[in-house]
Amino acid sequence: MKYLRLFGAFLRASIVGEAAYRINFFIQLFESLLSLGISLAGLAVIFSHADTLGGWRPDEVLALVGVYFLVGGVIGLVIQPGMEQLIESVRNGTLDFTLTKPEDAQFIVSIRRVEIWKLMDIVLGLGVLAAALVRLGQEIGVLQAAEFVGMLLAGAVIIYSFWLILATLSFWFVRVENILVIFQSMYEAGRWPVSLYPGWLRYGLTFIVPVAFATTVPAEALTGRLGWETMLGAVAMALVLLVVSRVFWRAGLRRYSGASA
Amino acid sequence: MTPPVVHIRDLRKVYVVSQQQAGARAALQGLIHRRKVEVPAVDGISFDVAAGEIVGFLGPNGAGKTTTLKILSGLLHPTSGEATVLGYAPWKRERSFLRQMTLVMGQRNQLIWDIPAINSFELNRVIYRIPVEDYRRTVAELTDLLDLGPLLHKPVRNLSLGERMKCEIAAALLHRPKVVFLDEPTIGLDVTMQRRIRSFIADYKRRFEATILLTSHYMTDVETLSRRVVVIHHGRLLFDGDLSILVRKFTSHKTIVVQLGDCQADLSSYGDVVSCEDGRTTLRVPKAETAHVTERLLADLPVIDLLVEDPPIEEVIERVFAQGAQ
Amino acid sequence: MKAMVELYIQQFKTTLTMMFQYRASLLIWMIGQVLEPLVYLIVWSVVSASSGGSVGSYTTADFAAYYIILMVVNQVTYTWIMYEFEYRIREGGFSFALLKPVHPIHSDIADNVSSKVITLPVMILIAAGLGVVFHASISPAPWAVAMFIPVLLLAFLVRFLLEWTLAQAAFWTTRVGAINQLYFVLMLFLAGQIAPLTLLPSPLQAAAAVLPFRWLISFPVELLLGRLSPGETLVGLGAQVAWLVVSIVLMRIVWRAGLRTYTAVGA
Repeated sequence: MKYLRLFGAFLRASIVGEAAYRINFFIQLFESLLSLGISLAGLAVIFSHADTLGGWRPDEVLALVGVYFLVGGVIGLVIQPGMEQLIESVRNGTLDFTLTKPEDAQFIVSIRRVEIWKLMDIVLGLGVLAAALVRLGQEIGVLQAAEFVGMLLAGAVIIYSFWLILATLSFWFVRVENILVIFQSMYEAGRWPVSLYPGWLRYGLTFIVPVAFATTVPAEALTGRLGWETMLGAVAMALVLLVVSRVFWRAGLRRYSGASA
Repeated sequence: MTPPVVHIRDLRKVYVVSQQQAGARAALQGLIHRRKVEVPAVDGISFDVAAGEIVGFLGPNGAGKTTTLKILSGLLHPTSGEATVLGYAPWKRERSFLRQMTLVMGQRNQLIWDIPAINSFELNRVIYRIPVEDYRRTVAELTDLLDLGPLLHKPVRNLSLGERMKCEIAAALLHRPKVVFLDEPTIGLDVTMQRRIRSFIADYKRRFEATILLTSHYMTDVETLSRRVVVIHHGRLLFDGDLSILVRKFTSHKTIVVQLGDCQADLSSYGDVVSCEDGRTTLRVPKAETAHVTERLLADLPVIDLLVEDPPIEEVIERVFAQGAQ
Repeated sequence: MKAMVELYIQQFKTTLTMMFQYRASLLIWMIGQVLEPLVYLIVWSVVSASSGGSVGSYTTADFAAYYIILMVVNQVTYTWIMYEFEYRIREGGFSFALLKPVHPIHSDIADNVSSKVITLPVMILIAAGLGVVFHASISPAPWAVAMFIPVLLLAFLVRFLLEWTLAQAAFWTTRVGAINQLYFVLMLFLAGQIAPLTLLPSPLQAAAAVLPFRWLISFPVELLLGRLSPGETLVGLGAQVAWLVVSIVLMRIVWRAGLRTYTAVGA
């Protein structure tokens, strides 16, 4: 509850901050729509030449695009801005201000920056997802819906922990923002079912940069492709990464206070 | 008579700022409509600087000093009024003008961060088309004057603030500009480094007969470098003239230090007692009464020694600013 | 003229030293340059394989060759000036460039070229490796290979000038990220990155012909693939030259207007 209130405060601050750049609201709206349009147009081009893509029907890939936008929106809304600022504040020492606040520092650095306009991607993602489900005309049982939400949550936790680990590297290395660039290009690959990719790339997108868990796996849950092994794997991966990232963060903080003292 | 190097008449620079209200609701309303406000940063100032002169440019934060310097170096277009430097209109940024002037900003750096300063120097050599001979000589001279020797070949990011500032200044002067605008060149530096930079500026002016306009927060910079000061506040000119006149004009009091041997005597009838240590009493006395009070002190008391002083320059400037604010 | 040559030589030396310091970042940036075309390569290969080995006039191996050459062409022509400009104006570094008696575009060109000197050999190695993995092969006519160099150079110049012009949006708005992304999205579609242009619906192909994007990427790629006739190549070259003229004029107009704005609102 207390955490929710804190998040609300940061959200309000970012609304005030962003409103100064009113043109960005309209540009982001335009940009999100355009980006989605291009995505859909891309699918249209591909499916004008083929009936299925690696065994996925058009509306199933559409559902995947919805998930891709939804998760991308969450990353852009809060995960990425916070982690980028974390790296910046480790470098210029402003992390001190955060560490002196009487709250859990990991929580604060994770939510303190919110790019509100990215909410648009989340809304659009949900819209696309809904449209895809209607077009699939498939009955979604309670169990399947729960599986989907569960996988989505697991994916979000995995992505968050992964970003936190990367950002925490900045306690040891000065320039890590480049690693974040790698993630962004890897995430692009999550627009498509990972089963398309040759083995080495599929492996990389699952275990090295865990994009697959955030996009393909939830979409698989929704389209009834998911086996219980993958489901357990995703949950286990989420828990393990969450713990590992916490340990990493602690070690980083020890290093930070040791180095600056 | 030669025309002034810097010439400013009724110079005005007005910024249009959109206002933002506090609170999320007001911010969202701002998406649709917002208020524009005109803020005059420089509000009708006039002064000239003659060739070879050093002028100290004073004023509290936000007085319009940096804006004026930016107009003079061609980074800002004035809203109205005249400003010429070496006969050029700076904002046209003609190349022949740019080759003859420089602007040093103490809080920003032009040197490339990750490589040694000497590489940036070399780049400036070709940018300013400095003949190789001249370049070598100038680098040697500047190295000597600023003690740059070991610094030039280290990556700039590894230099201390003071070392970096020395390299910044050298880089800005390689083309031997006739006009030098220095915006807070000593900010954040320790006292030794400040003194070093000050004496360098004096040397540079003497050697190259440059015209220098200097802003600084540190009065010592201005005191040692320039006889003439221009004081602005809220974009308006408060004073232009000799530093000693400024001091005289804005000094309402003098300080008298009387040595009596002990601190027993009550001197409050002579003036405000500021302090008494080791038998030395410091009195603050209205300027007009200085002579009279001194006479009385000498007549009434067993004075061992007596000293009449002006108050410290910082105090004077503070008073100038305070009066300007009214 | 001599002074200009000297300026460029010195700029190259300086920025090479600098870029060498950033080599790790440069290589990391390349991962994105490789991965994006690679994803489309794979998607189209899958589509091609599932529809009997070809889509339109492209076989599976053609798709591989198309996207591998595209990687290299994109590497040669891309710029990061739109981010750089915004940063410069935000942090005030731009003022120093204005104080100098030289147009700032020269140092930007030198920067760009020297970063390419460092990264291009790596990119060519990667391209060769991927060529082997995906069984790509090309057999262009000798004249096409000869024309590829000037065409690539023109593509670089036009793209550089257009992006440099676009980057100046930073003079008017403090956040240009959105504008940049709009541009990249157009690039993705109309320069042949999402699919070879001949696989797009015909209205889009028509749009691509009149807009600059196609001449920046897909035209050089198609030339080296051996898909263009000499006549088509000349038409493309003409389009590139025309866009070069347009982009120079545009750059000058926008630059002048941008400077007026910049010097009005403050550095």
